[in-house]
Amino acid sequence: MRMIMFLWISFGLVVPAYAQESQVPLAAEEVSRSETVLVQVNGLVCDFCARALEKVFAKRDEVASFNVDLTSKVMTLGLKPGQVLDDAAIAELVKKAGYNVVKIERK
Amino acid sequence: MRNIRAFFLFSLFILLFGAAARAEARPVSYEGGTTLEASYDADAAVFLAHYSLKPYCAVGWRTEYRHEADWVFNGAQLNALLKRWNKADAQANLWFSSGLGSAYGLAGEFDGRTAFSAFAGVAADWENRRLYVSYANRELYAGEIDKMFEQRARFGFAPYVGEFGDIHTWCLLEVKHSPESDDNVVLTPFLRFFKGALLWEIGVSEHGDVMTMATIVF
Repeated sequence: MRMIMFLWISFGLVVPAYAQESQVPLAAEEVSRSETVLVQVNGLVCDFCARALEKVFAKRDEVASFNVDLTSKVMTLGLKPGQVLDDAAIAELVKKAGYNVVKIERK
Repeated sequence: MRNIRAFFLFSLFILLFGAAARAEARPVSYEGGTTLEASYDADAAVFLAHYSLKPYCAVGWRTEYRHEADWVFNGAQLNALLKRWNKADAQANLWFSSGLGSAYGLAGEFDGRTAFSAFAGVAADWENRRLYVSYANRELYAGEIDKMFEQRARFGFAPYVGEFGDIHTWCLLEVKHSPESDDNVVLTPFLRFFKGALLWEIGVSEHGDVMTMATIVF
């Protein structure tokens, strides 16, 4: 009975996990015109870490796309056309996720 | 009155500065993040929900059913990240957490009895993309119903290095030490998987007891 209760609770956790597995939407025409920001982050050693960053940046209106390369420890942000997210704001958001910025480059 | 004030201050101290950990996957997540966790092993079934007020502080609710003594803890939990070392290829953390609530006996001598309960412990972990090691301890007090101390160490490796969005897999071994228990050292090999915001652990101890945990951060 206890095991059944546990499995039931676990199932309840799994379903919403996949229900909210959405990437930040990005329209095709926005890709070509958006600014790309490359952020080198320290402490980025696992997918859970990357998800924390994704959750924090996905809340920002300026952000159109998000990706992380765990090998190079680089977070890539695509900004919406005309939108600005300065270095200080990015560093603060990374800190809120629990990590540290090493450097920021823009393309 | 003086005793009540002393008890209140002691409780507040434990809640704010005490330490407790039961090998939680993420005692604190990102600012504004909510974590739900359910776990089951030979000792207890636990449900924990917490909200990270800051990247170094989370508050939540814990319900823990202790199988052997047959009692349940219900109460508030506070987790704190005391120090994080973010390195280029590794991360290390020092955690404190604590809880305050009530213990309720479900059978036997303490059936239907309620007692003040609190726990405190400390945890530390280090990981890179290939290796993982952690330590956690906890002192649990439940008045006349129960009192215990336990500590757990975990060691593991990732058989492959996953990228963002992949299913990540870890092979781990837990060594649990419970001084008051007859079997005071128990080994549990287990697997850890995570994908996206979901983490799941499953293992079987050397005595054949199932250990499992599921965590979601959103």
